Amino acid sequence: MENELNVVGQRLPMHDAAAKAKGTAQFTDDLTFPGMLHGRILRSPLAHAKILRIDTSKAEKLPGVKGVVTGQDIPDRLYGIVPKARDEYALARDKVRYIGDDVAAVCAIAPEIAEEAIELIKVDYEELPAVFDPFESKKDGAPVIHEGIKNNTSFAIKKEFGDVKKAFAESDAIFEDTFFSQAVNHAPLEPHAAIAQYDPLKGEVTIWSSTQIPFFLRRNLSNTLQIPESRVRVIKPKVGGGFGQKIDMFAKDFCAAWFAMHLGKPVKFIYDREEVFISTRQRHPMYITVKTGMKKDGTILAQKFQSYADGGAYNSTAPTMMALSCFFLMIPYKVPNLFYEGYHVYTNKPVGGAMRGHGIPQARFAVERQLDLMAGRLGLDPAEIRLKNSIHAGEPHSAGFVINTCGFSESVKKAADAIGWKEKRGKLPFGRGVGLAGASFPSGVSNMSHISSGAVVQVGQDGAVNVLSGAADIGQGAETVISQIVAEELGVLLEDIRITAADTGITPLDPGTFGSGVTVRAGNAARLAALEAKEKLFEFVAEKLEANPEDLIAKNREIFVKGSPGTVMTIKDAIKGYQYADLPMPIVGRGSWMAPTDEPTTLFEQDGNFAPNYSFMTQAAEIEVDLVTGQVKLLRMVTAHDCGRPINPMLVEGQLEGSVVGGMGQALYEDVIVEKGQVMNPSFLDYGFPTFLEMPQIETIGVETDDPIGPFGAKEAGEGTQLSPAPAIVNAIYDAIGVDFMELPVTPEKILKAMEEKGK
Amino acid sequence: MKKGIELKINGDNYEVLISPNNTLLEVLRDKLGLMGTKQGCDLGACGACTVLINGEAYLSCIMLAMDAVGKEIMTIEGIEEDGLLHPLQTAFVEKGGLQCGFCTPGMILTAKTILDEEEHPTEDTIKKKMSGNLCRCTGYKKIVEAVMSVSEQTGEGA
Amino acid sequence: MRLPKFRYIEPKSIEEASAFLLDEPGAKILAGGTDILPNMKHRVELPSVVINIKKIPELNTIRQDNGVIRIGALTPLKKVYESPIIAENLSALSSAASSVGSYHHQTMGTIGGNICQQNRCKYFNQSQWWRSARPTCFKAGGEICHVVNKEEVCYSAYSGDVAPALMVLDAIIILQSKDNSREMPLDMLFSGNGKAPLNLKEGELLTEITIPGKAKDGFSTYLKSANRESIDFPIVGTAFWASIKKKEYRVAFTAVDRKPLRGGSVEDFLKGKDLSEEVLEEASQIASKEASPVKTSVYSPSYKRKMMGLLLRSAIQEAMGREK
Repeated sequence: MENELNVVGQRLPMHDAAAKAKGTAQFTDDLTFPGMLHGRILRSPLAHAKILRIDTSKAEKLPGVKGVVTGQDIPDRLYGIVPKARDEYALARDKVRYIGDDVAAVCAIAPEIAEEAIELIKVDYEELPAVFDPFESKKDGAPVIHEGIKNNTSFAIKKEFGDVKKAFAESDAIFEDTFFSQAVNHAPLEPHAAIAQYDPLKGEVTIWSSTQIPFFLRRNLSNTLQIPESRVRVIKPKVGGGFGQKIDMFAKDFCAAWFAMHLGKPVKFIYDREEVFISTRQRHPMYITVKTGMKKDGTILAQKFQSYADGGAYNSTAPTMMALSCFFLMIPYKVPNLFYEGYHVYTNKPVGGAMRGHGIPQARFAVERQLDLMAGRLGLDPAEIRLKNSIHAGEPHSAGFVINTCGFSESVKKAADAIGWKEKRGKLPFGRGVGLAGASFPSGVSNMSHISSGAVVQVGQDGAVNVLSGAADIGQGAETVISQIVAEELGVLLEDIRITAADTGITPLDPGTFGSGVTVRAGNAARLAALEAKEKLFEFVAEKLEANPEDLIAKNREIFVKGSPGTVMTIKDAIKGYQYADLPMPIVGRGSWMAPTDEPTTLFEQDGNFAPNYSFMTQAAEIEVDLVTGQVKLLRMVTAHDCGRPINPMLVEGQLEGSVVGGMGQALYEDVIVEKGQVMNPSFLDYGFPTFLEMPQIETIGVETDDPIGPFGAKEAGEGTQLSPAPAIVNAIYDAIGVDFMELPVTPEKILKAMEEKGK
Repeated sequence: MKKGIELKINGDNYEVLISPNNTLLEVLRDKLGLMGTKQGCDLGACGACTVLINGEAYLSCIMLAMDAVGKEIMTIEGIEEDGLLHPLQTAFVEKGGLQCGFCTPGMILTAKTILDEEEHPTEDTIKKKMSGNLCRCTGYKKIVEAVMSVSEQTGEGA
Repeated sequence: MRLPKFRYIEPKSIEEASAFLLDEPGAKILAGGTDILPNMKHRVELPSVVINIKKIPELNTIRQDNGVIRIGALTPLKKVYESPIIAENLSALSSAASSVGSYHHQTMGTIGGNICQQNRCKYFNQSQWWRSARPTCFKAGGEICHVVNKEEVCYSAYSGDVAPALMVLDAIIILQSKDNSREMPLDMLFSGNGKAPLNLKEGELLTEITIPGKAKDGFSTYLKSANRESIDFPIVGTAFWASIKKKEYRVAFTAVDRKPLRGGSVEDFLKGKDLSEEVLEEASQIASKEASPVKTSVYSPSYKRKMMGLLLRSAIQEAMGREK
């Protein structure tokens, strides 16, 4: 009972769930300010062109227009989310690099006037040859997209672990296969938005932005506006989903701030859905060749992996994305010898960025598909081959990852059992099949000190607690999870916690929501802060209860002595006593946390332990192919996930279920279709992500481990499960109709074509 | 040319000056501050802007405000009774039927029309009628569970 | 995305609506709005006047008149498929109406509006800015077609779900203008001209759809292929009506041509035959050659042709199953 957790581990509603259900939760577009102006971006209709001249005079003369800005007006500062890969201007300066590139912005007293005004801006372009295919783009003589970047290859990584040549020589079977993973749009329901306001006395810009990364946005705004970081305050209102797409500064952020500073009025920018599709970010299309050497029994000896990411016009997160796709090839399977080469190639197309899984879903599609292919070639069972190669806790990782806890093999077994693997694989009627695939994901990033989180906890006079956290809740429930951690540590209830988060002017530093690191990083910071506050209170209470502080336990709004639950004081009384004892109020605890590390690592140059801990998971799919129409229906998906100990199982399930349906979209429905650099389906109508009617039966299975680093033993749950639904589904399609698909998505058209060819 | 109209929203009459090309969504949000109705795609393909018109689920981003004159409009702000959450709101909260919350008002309103028409709809009916409400966070499972749970409570005599 | 400016009119009668149409060549009719308003936001339709006919009460009715089923043009799709007369006797129509868009589109959208919807093309149904990346196409008032750039033809595809179903039910439509009223088989409404898909005279409105009583004597169905089970327009839609006793059959397709298409060759082939596995196979082959779709959508013409055959195959199978 003393060790039981009261708040952590409970299925509790999100603390802001009622506001969301009432429609009172405020997203950026729900905010208005007196005298607010409305902005809009003019975008390039050309895939590649020099900007010769921009004539804004007609737009400026339109009644109601208050400001126009072009790339020539703004500081000559490149920005980018990864400092070494900065290649983007808030508004294009000399040339445009894709259809949708940001050219100029206007702001006006009404949105419709802003819409009208951008059409009055006349841009003279000199069209340049454009290139849309990464293999054409990397050729000598291809159009140069960014000056000074040879072969349009902005980032390359080549790594060898172990002795690959020797391991291939020792292999019984070696096969090489090529795969393609398509462009996928995050498609959060809330379009990107920003509102900025300026205080001329303090010289401070305040911006409300639909962002996942308030503190990085502050840094990028400071750099591009050329004002100190201390003069930029970023506030994140409710964010209507991000999935990685809101990791970056966008023209709307910069332009809102620019106009606010220059006009002294609040300015709002909202992107149209089309702009979200074309001019923000998407999952990188990737061409992958994998060569694997195995022993007869299926043991992986070596892999050679070559990948070309079609980056679109700018870098965004390119280096990180490529590094992730490399290092995560070595878990959840032991790959003792790996040669990896990866290239990020510019094309005149929409920009690739971080999307749920960030470089790993593409790699997992290739590897998990190839494992099934290899199993078939060697006459082995795909589930067995995964168990055989599974990494386990404490085992070495070729690049130095430290695996403290690992439920991977258990997840394979549980997922296989739940889907009925033994009874079904290879035994279902033609057209029906099962397949599975595994994965592992980091709980955030370690070894970079700017990837640290802070928290402040203040215990109020009535026992209620205020928490300040920099963490950016984008709908996943980060604020709730952090509140649960604090409540548990302080022995209060969730309803006693009030959290203020993601405001760079108020809350402590936090890198933001990416890499699935919030629970572990910000959760640990909050736990440390709560602990510090609790220690102050315990010191006082120990004296009153005549016990040692280390023997005290706080639970359910009470503090009692370990082993004698009768010796107890309510937290309210404790605080009252604390106050009357003339101890300094308020009781405040502070925490700063970064992942424990021996030496810094970036993965670009140095290897090492990338993350504080790693989640593991297996997805098992059962599908049915409509043999007439070629339509694949995902009937059921089992997802067995080791997220350590879940802080809130209901929210974990929500993450897994959302990931499964997103992964199903990637496998079967979604594709950003581009013709000559132009996105052909930039709408919710034409980019068909799954509806209620596509949703499969979903069964989530917890594989519990107790991680020593995660708060209360937790690991990530936000991204990992989107890594492998696609290969699990495509593996199941093979089981159903005996066709191996190597490219995503698997559309009915492809199914029918393949079945015809097979019939011949 | 602006025109003064009267809209009946959540039982109350609102006088508002609009242009004929204003959508109902624009009037609700920009002119009346009823921000619970969300703009997700603005082209009638996501359901985030769902409102009820005479009890039916409508997409307010592709409906003229002029066209709503004389009709009973209900937005998410009008679904609570006596300051208490509607059972659907409670169910979405308790069952985890929401994450980011952006699609939630539209979801709840569509669900309301389903339960108003039919006390105990099948799971298939719920999915079919809600299929115009897109959600990118939840994978839909817990939303269906939330709606089903309300349907199961109904008629049990509480 | 804001709507363009227009003058808004709410006529109280058909005659009044027609008079406005005659007065103002740039006027357009607004019914459910689910087609025209997105098009207006995209600036591919720019009516000077929007005539909202929804306040004309008599156009929202379903009734039987001497066995003939008469459906007012403003009847919402939902009311169409929920009507017992239709659900029980005219499955093709109820399936088609309930497969339009999503549930929301079915509550808002009207049967007349669905029939009269604009043709679609992946180069046309895009925003003004999007389209500015290419020369303006025929349909949007320019001088080029991005799909087939050979002749001066707009290839945009008719993509409504309801029209093919009504066509196999031998539906007759009533067109009214200020001083006139005429009837014609629904097939005749469609011009086959992508730029101006409807054969309407100046001032004419579609007011009523009538379905002859004998349509109820056969089996009918509408099958739709789409990326998702909701929201989407058809990749291909196929309607089928069969009187197995009389060995009469009717077939129509949508989303494969500039107009909804009757399957003439396949009807000729089926006429007088008993349905069997062999007949079905051959019919399916013939059906896949009934149209020559082009790349107006992201789906390939060959896939569309294949689906025409496959959907008809499924429809015939359904009819055979029903007969047993």
